Amino acid sequence: MHDVSALNPQARASAKPAPNRLRLVLDVRQSLPAWKQGLFIAGSLVVGLAISVAVLAVAGISPIELGGELIAVFNADSLRAVLVQAAPLMLVGLAASLAFRIGFWNLGLEGQMLFGGIFATAISVYQIGPPQTRLLLMGLASAVGGALWCLLAGFLKIRFRVNEIIATLLLNYVAMYFLFHLLYGAWQDARSAFPQSTPYQPYERLWDIGFGINSGLIVAIVAIIVAGWLVHFSRLGFYMRVVNANRSMARVVGIPIQPVMLWTVAISGACAGIAGFVNVASQEGRLTQSFANGYVFSGVLIAFLSRNDPIVVAVVGFLIAVLFIMGQTLQVFYQIPFTMVQMIEAIIVMSVASSEFFIRHRIHLIR
Amino acid sequence: MTTSLALKGIRKSFDGVVVLDDAEFSGKAGEVHALLGENGAGKSSLMNVAAGLYAPEAGHVLINGQPTALSGPAEARGYGIGMVHQHFKLVMPFTVAENILLANGASAYRSGIRHIRAAIKKQSDELGFALDPDRRVNTLSVAQQQQVEIVKVLVGGAKILILDEPTAVLTDAEAEQLLATVQRLARAGTTVVLITHKLNEVKRYADSVTIMRRGRTVATVDPSTTTAAELTQLTVGETQTLPARAQSEATGTRLNVGALTCARADGSIALQEATFFVRAGEIYGIAGVSGNGQTELAEALMGAREPTNGEIWVEDLGDISRTPMSHTRIAAVGIIPADRYTFALAGSLSLADNFAVAEVGSGRYGPLGLLDRAAMQRDTTQAIGEYDVQGVRSVKQKAALLSGGNAQKLVIAREFSRHPSVVVAHSPSRGLDARACNAVHQRLLSARDRGAAVVLISEDLDEVLSLSDRIGVMTRGRIVSEFSRPADRQAIGRAMVDHA
Amino acid sequence: MIAFLTNWLAGAPSNAVPYALAALGLIISERSGVLNLTAEGLMLVGALAGIGTCLTLGGYPEVALIVAAVAASVVSLLFAGLVVILRVNQVIAGLSVVFFCQGLTGLIGTITNWQNKQVVGLGRLAIWPLSEIPVIGRIFFEQDAVVYLTVVIFFLVNWWLSSTMMGLRTRSVGENPAAADAAGISVTWYRVMAIVFGSSLIGLAGGYISVVNVKLWVTGMTGGRGWIAVALVVFARWAPWPALFGALLFGCIEAIIPHIAAAGIRVPQYLMMMTPYLATIAVMMWVGATQRGGTNEPGALGQPHVREERS
Repeated sequence: MHDVSALNPQARASAKPAPNRLRLVLDVRQSLPAWKQGLFIAGSLVVGLAISVAVLAVAGISPIELGGELIAVFNADSLRAVLVQAAPLMLVGLAASLAFRIGFWNLGLEGQMLFGGIFATAISVYQIGPPQTRLLLMGLASAVGGALWCLLAGFLKIRFRVNEIIATLLLNYVAMYFLFHLLYGAWQDARSAFPQSTPYQPYERLWDIGFGINSGLIVAIVAIIVAGWLVHFSRLGFYMRVVNANRSMARVVGIPIQPVMLWTVAISGACAGIAGFVNVASQEGRLTQSFANGYVFSGVLIAFLSRNDPIVVAVVGFLIAVLFIMGQTLQVFYQIPFTMVQMIEAIIVMSVASSEFFIRHRIHLIR
Repeated sequence: MTTSLALKGIRKSFDGVVVLDDAEFSGKAGEVHALLGENGAGKSSLMNVAAGLYAPEAGHVLINGQPTALSGPAEARGYGIGMVHQHFKLVMPFTVAENILLANGASAYRSGIRHIRAAIKKQSDELGFALDPDRRVNTLSVAQQQQVEIVKVLVGGAKILILDEPTAVLTDAEAEQLLATVQRLARAGTTVVLITHKLNEVKRYADSVTIMRRGRTVATVDPSTTTAAELTQLTVGETQTLPARAQSEATGTRLNVGALTCARADGSIALQEATFFVRAGEIYGIAGVSGNGQTELAEALMGAREPTNGEIWVEDLGDISRTPMSHTRIAAVGIIPADRYTFALAGSLSLADNFAVAEVGSGRYGPLGLLDRAAMQRDTTQAIGEYDVQGVRSVKQKAALLSGGNAQKLVIAREFSRHPSVVVAHSPSRGLDARACNAVHQRLLSARDRGAAVVLISEDLDEVLSLSDRIGVMTRGRIVSEFSRPADRQAIGRAMVDHA
Repeated sequence: MIAFLTNWLAGAPSNAVPYALAALGLIISERSGVLNLTAEGLMLVGALAGIGTCLTLGGYPEVALIVAAVAASVVSLLFAGLVVILRVNQVIAGLSVVFFCQGLTGLIGTITNWQNKQVVGLGRLAIWPLSEIPVIGRIFFEQDAVVYLTVVIFFLVNWWLSSTMMGLRTRSVGENPAAADAAGISVTWYRVMAIVFGSSLIGLAGGYISVVNVKLWVTGMTGGRGWIAVALVVFARWAPWPALFGALLFGCIEAIIPHIAAAGIRVPQYLMMMTPYLATIAVMMWVGATQRGGTNEPGALGQPHVREERS
């Protein structure tokens, strides 16, 4: 037997008995009761928010001022803004969670929103359809636009095995430049030097329907209800769950995997497209260049916190809308850039994701 | 002879599931000591503790009489313990020399490789292996990869060699060669621990045997003075009645596999014009060690892999080799795959979902818009009762919580509930204890008695011999010879090797 | 025509450097088995740190580049902690770190008022007399120091990966962490080291963009280059030299955009800006279409390792 201790003199030297040493051991859990899981997640949310508050404090906003702003959000005016903002957020959260349900990382939410807005604006610019149906056609067109842009990434994945994370993210940039091309070119409002289209006609807008609630919110809630039913009660929802749980098995038991994937991707893109339509038709009133900023990670965050469940998306979407409005306030009154909102979203995702470690593993000391 | 490796009072559990409960072991230098037990008895887990991979919750590990607390595999190696696992710990794209160098660390690569080449040559010659240090491990046969693992631990200075079910992946001839080699090693002073569930190996090669059952050590006896029946009694705890088999009443051809050719992902040919047929009412067993195309054949029959050439003909269905999955096909061909959680079950889904999944498409559980969950649960509950699936608190619980045997029963329940005309079983008793094994065999026999054509692909030659009416030997992607019951084991063994 | 070609290709290496260094940094961590999507964020960190150093010290671009590399390494510890120690899903962790960095750099850039402030940058080093050769001389032998340094770094990293024990161990951790663990190699330590080491190169790439190429800081200035680098890793099949080739390709694409407008060819401006992204997608399509057999992907890419997982 060849003695290789010459190669590694440390190996022999370290072989000393140490019977009183403690050892940290990591174990994988089989399962954990739901209430305990909820506890870990809630705890991590608190930690994430605490860190965010600390970061804001360093940036110059004391927690007391922050608390004041939070309370101020719930007065009538701000609340109306929150509800308006909640609609597109719920829709992108829905788009993200539907795609994540089958393991398709749809990060192209911004690009799909942009195309949703572009297709909707096309209906307005080319005056397709009579005025009574114009708004409906714009909505449908936006769904088609978003769906097509997402299906492009889906097609690239199925046919060319292109990773959808990269494909959807890059397509965001392509969509953005296409939008610029339109806004600085053919569709630019002749009366304005800014990159924006001519304003929509009054019948092409999503107006409030009383109590400060915007009709865009109704669109979002309808979408949530439809998606919730789809996911929990329909055959497609069941197939989505099986395909995600075990794709090889799904193939062998005869589930049509590709149609399931393509339908889900299309519906996901459609939701994002409609989010774009809601933004341009309610808040903006015309096609602008930045109506989709910040929605990619917001969508990911909402989907992640809702565990991809459409009904929970509604609640979380509302909460993130509160965050958005606070972010705007901080920007206006305290000169904190809006990208701060993204940072806080990232901190929350990281801390909630970290809680999974404690849910999935057991740590204990031995001896 | 001194006691070189001793484990006393070892306790280990994973997330509340106890795998070792006051387990003991004591091995001496210069002997081949077998560790016998059925699947799930805790043999591998106990030795994983000795090798430093698992930290015990209670108990002591003594090496050469000294109590030690192993912090990890590196420290175990420092004490001279080397383990060859069932799933080799090899880095496939690396060469033999790189793999062995990795485990026997050096500070410089170039000089390290040179030293290790010399060491490998010396060690291989002593053992009678023919290993080329510069070949990539993924180009070697399974038996050769195992040789690399053995050389790896011996080059590292192992005086205590632990082998975990080493003959599971070898032909009879290769197994004999290996066991004779380790016996020689033992005579030269090494402590050899042989983990196995095969009685004949224990009787032929072991100087001493420790029997484990359900995480506890049951006895330590001398195999030369203990009968096989006594050993079985100690291992299983009860006498096993073999399933009763009626004479086969086979009729016409039900399944015909003609010149089936399949390629692997990397382009190599897995099935080379494989041809065989199975009649209704008979069990056709396919014998052979793994790696000869069995997995690809099973996948092609399942519909998980498309063959490049050839046909799979099923009575009343025609050639199904390249047609898309249809409901009639799923109903007609029942599948029991080797890897339950790859092709048969989704661990994170409920029992009801797993059971009903194949029928949802046919509309049995509601239209497109509304899934009839209640009906799914009803059917599942009925099947669970009929097929004796234990450990079920609710049909809504996750499938991953079922034990191996019960998960397999669930798979069988689902597949057989449609009364398939063809059954494909690939290593159906892998990882199951004797009782579950028996239950599975019972089901296969009753399927055959009801007139199904059963294809049994298994690396366990005992299983194939006991169940099959006809046997085909598979080597290098083809059926090279066939035997009828009663089959000559020696002849089968020769057939496996002749064409290698 | 010759002048057009020379001008274009002489600018290509400078545009290629960030892609090359970022891709190489990603390759290092991915060879250890960690799926790394953080490039876009860490490049921003490097870019801001570089400009910040230049503005604070009033020059010293070399120091700025070193600070850029270090800053990115420090932030990468967050990613390393998440994926190696807490075993968080590597896609989620990577995305979170990117958006965290985007937010953080946006915030710091605004508060410190470092936006839109010009810095000096690095001059070109001419390797005389080779730089006097017509056409080739200007393209290959008249570049700034970092371009030459990049080539050296590629040699070093390639040698490190293929011919040293550390490289062997790192690769083993990426192919089969269970085997590496059984061999006594600390999977945790090697993965963290690979992430931090690789991230220093990513930070350097970002610092190069801000300090040498553009010579100022603007929020979000990396503009998707980090994602292109991620795509390049797949294109290069996780090997260093093909990544350099791919980076040069993209450097050429980026370099030609201003020259086309200057040459008077009329192409819609914003459609031109799409080219790098469309080119990346085209490259990925090509990789997917021509892939025969198995990929070169490290065997355990993206999977966290737990030793006592009961099989």
